[in-house]
Amino acid sequence: MTVKRRSKPVSVNPLKIGQSLGGVLAMQGCYRAMPIVHGSQGCSAFPKALLTRHFREPIAVQTSALQEMDVIFDANRNLEEALNAVLSKHRPDIIGIIGTELTDVAGVDYQSMLKSYKRERNMRGGLAFSVTLPDFRGSLESGFSVTVEAMVDELIQQAGLRGQRNVNSRQITLLPGSYLTPGDVMELKEIVSSFGFEVIALPDISTSLSGHLLTGFSPLTRGGVPLDSMLQSLQSGLTIAFGASMERPARRLHNALGTPYKVFQGTMGLKASDELLNFLHQISGVPVPIRYCWQRENLLDCMLDAHFQFAGVSALAALEPDHLRSVSEWLEELGVEQKALVASCETPAVAEMEREVWVGDLDDAEVLGSGADLWISSSHGIAGAERIGAAFLPAGFPIWDELGSYMNVSVGYRGAMEWTNKAGNLLMRREAEHRESRVRHR
Amino acid sequence: MEPIRKEELDDQACGSMAPKSKPCPRPKPGEAAGGCSFDGAQITLLPIMDAAHLVHGPVACAGNSWESRGSLSSGPSLSQYGFATDLGNNDIIFGGEKKLRDSIDYIAGRFTPPAIFVYSTCVTALIGEDMDAVCKEASDRLGIPIVPVNSPGFVGSKNLGNRLAGDALLQYVIGTGEPEQETPLGVNLIGEYNIAGEMWDIEKLMNQAGITLLSRITGDARYKEITWAHRAKANMVVCSRALLGLAKQMESKYGIPYFEGSFYGAKETTYSLRQMAFLLNDREMERRVDRLTEREENRLAHDLRPYRKILKGKKAVLYTGGVKSWSVISALKELGIQVVGVGTNKSSDEDVQRIADRVGDDTEYIPEGGASRIIKTVRERKADIMIAGGRNMYVAMKEQIPFVDINQERHKAYAGYEGLLRLAKELVDSMVNPIWKLASSPAPWDKEGSYDR
Repeated sequence: MTVKRRSKPVSVNPLKIGQSLGGVLAMQGCYRAMPIVHGSQGCSAFPKALLTRHFREPIAVQTSALQEMDVIFDANRNLEEALNAVLSKHRPDIIGIIGTELTDVAGVDYQSMLKSYKRERNMRGGLAFSVTLPDFRGSLESGFSVTVEAMVDELIQQAGLRGQRNVNSRQITLLPGSYLTPGDVMELKEIVSSFGFEVIALPDISTSLSGHLLTGFSPLTRGGVPLDSMLQSLQSGLTIAFGASMERPARRLHNALGTPYKVFQGTMGLKASDELLNFLHQISGVPVPIRYCWQRENLLDCMLDAHFQFAGVSALAALEPDHLRSVSEWLEELGVEQKALVASCETPAVAEMEREVWVGDLDDAEVLGSGADLWISSSHGIAGAERIGAAFLPAGFPIWDELGSYMNVSVGYRGAMEWTNKAGNLLMRREAEHRESRVRHR
Repeated sequence: MEPIRKEELDDQACGSMAPKSKPCPRPKPGEAAGGCSFDGAQITLLPIMDAAHLVHGPVACAGNSWESRGSLSSGPSLSQYGFATDLGNNDIIFGGEKKLRDSIDYIAGRFTPPAIFVYSTCVTALIGEDMDAVCKEASDRLGIPIVPVNSPGFVGSKNLGNRLAGDALLQYVIGTGEPEQETPLGVNLIGEYNIAGEMWDIEKLMNQAGITLLSRITGDARYKEITWAHRAKANMVVCSRALLGLAKQMESKYGIPYFEGSFYGAKETTYSLRQMAFLLNDREMERRVDRLTEREENRLAHDLRPYRKILKGKKAVLYTGGVKSWSVISALKELGIQVVGVGTNKSSDEDVQRIADRVGDDTEYIPEGGASRIIKTVRERKADIMIAGGRNMYVAMKEQIPFVDINQERHKAYAGYEGLLRLAKELVDSMVNPIWKLASSPAPWDKEGSYDR
């Protein structure tokens, strides 16, 4: 199906989140890392504030703090200053330079600057790379995957100097997409490792943004995948990517090292979980662990219990592209009418979906989905959901009206069950409220 | 604190003084924190609730920032909409002025706002968009005010953005309208953003004293009321550093006297109300304010008693910007809390002087940001609580330090007499919470000799 757009000159209630925020998020999944946003102060302050609000954790990020004259004369002088400060004060293992729309429009060449900086400083042992993530292209999702791709490239380059590869067929590299919560990544790691595999997630936000009580403050990331594990991941016998956007980094590993890869585009619902577990069963030869057999029955039973609630119900979802696709498949299984599907930007994955998909903002969602019973989006959608009288189910980024949403699980049978129950409960409560108001007004 | 007498004001010759502001310090690459000028301009203008706020630039400047501030509205909510011209590659190459014009037309047609504020961003400033001309042309054509706000992120810090927003108000808004009825005793509040509904408590107090709040600049404001701000008899600058220039220029342009005050703490609140009455130059009003503040202070003292018992002798580290760095100290002192460390990062020289007036000699000044520095002070001075903004909240949580949020993201109103009571309660609730004991005790199996031999 083709992707549609409503024609209006202005974006009203944007759904899109800047690419650079996606880059900052990806970096949070690496241990002792520091993203440096090459732009004005706000280019790092906004993502920091928003990520802090969503994850309720301190976020590691720094800025080159560009001002007007720096942009005109020599923006890279600021970057060098920032690199010097970060390296001498905090000694991070991993540095990611994130170029913004500002450096892009001004035509700043920080890629070659970084190269010569690395040569001059003899930066051994650490990993430093740069990405270009202007906000007028893509969205959070692409920013995240492009950053992972750059990270993978840099790893390959660095390992290439160290000699040959010993493929470990019992080790799998996971590439979890940006829409997965720390809880999701944890669940996926657990599912894959329950088939006897060693798992390295790249990046791994499940150990950095899921809540920890490590004391001793550091402005670098706490938790996440350490650099030596990242390098070790190059020996993996297989890459599994979750979300179509993660196919490119997976292909990079394939092209450079010959590592085969498998992409799961959908991660939600019975079918998606069946596909994952059956795949793991096939490649490992290990029977599906009994707890997942149980969970599968739990899910089916829960869907039976809930189907009264979902019958005749319509929903709208406004999310990042991969997430939208995943949620749409889950809604399909529940028999819910999908009134409007709105993506933040266009990607091949949403273009090939069998349903009508719109690229737009939350205002489009409000207009196209008018009359829907259930509204699925980030917390920015609360007001819109209220205006059209839909029950609001928070999903995606950012979520601020709910505690612990970063630990929500949507993947696997357990995730599908949690979501089904949560959505069903919301609809049930909404129905009860309607009933109550009828009684009162008689 | 006694109100300053008129003669002293004249001596200081505030009116003839040009805004004496030192340039905002250049942020240090790799060590900078805090928002940009674009952010600052929005903080100042977004509380104008019925106006549309359109960001001219790539979508993320709006997409990453809308709905992130705690200014509450008593009615219209158009300012909570996120509007962006959403420039793409081609717009940047060929120019986005047409898109801006179309966007303004669309918003005016569909939402019929009383005014549209248009914000420039780094990218549109860099490619040289003539925003002022587009706004002027559209304003003439559509017959509604369309205000350009030239505060792209890269011109400087958040504070500078506040000032630039103030300039936009002065240039395009203030003085363009007349109040519906004459208000002889009208006062403007400048730099009060109605965070968590604080302004409503203050407005109630002012009404009780018979003082009319003429224009809110800008907490819970309507566009129209700002147009007639020049008819006020006095200005109170609540957030002193950012919008002081606005008050000074209103004094020289319209002859409106101003003073800097705060509503944090009973003493500061009383001082502010009395100063208003004094500047309004009305004997009867002064007597009424005296009666009101005395009654409120007595009632508050009574209500605070149980909290003061717990809070007396407790130590706090305060890390916040501008006016709050000194005004909250007074509030804490009234509760019996000693401030052992205070951030001066975003404070002007005047602010620092005011801090010095209010704290003891052994208070540590924390001039530069960086969470590690704040935590070090908390540890060294054995502080019981950290009071700062949301940015540092989770840093404190990781270190298991009780925390109270007093910046723009918070959900509780701490201004006025009622607010001080709320602050006291919040501080006590935070400090006595069972979590501190639970979090600091190890798991049973980690205790020494816990396993069976």
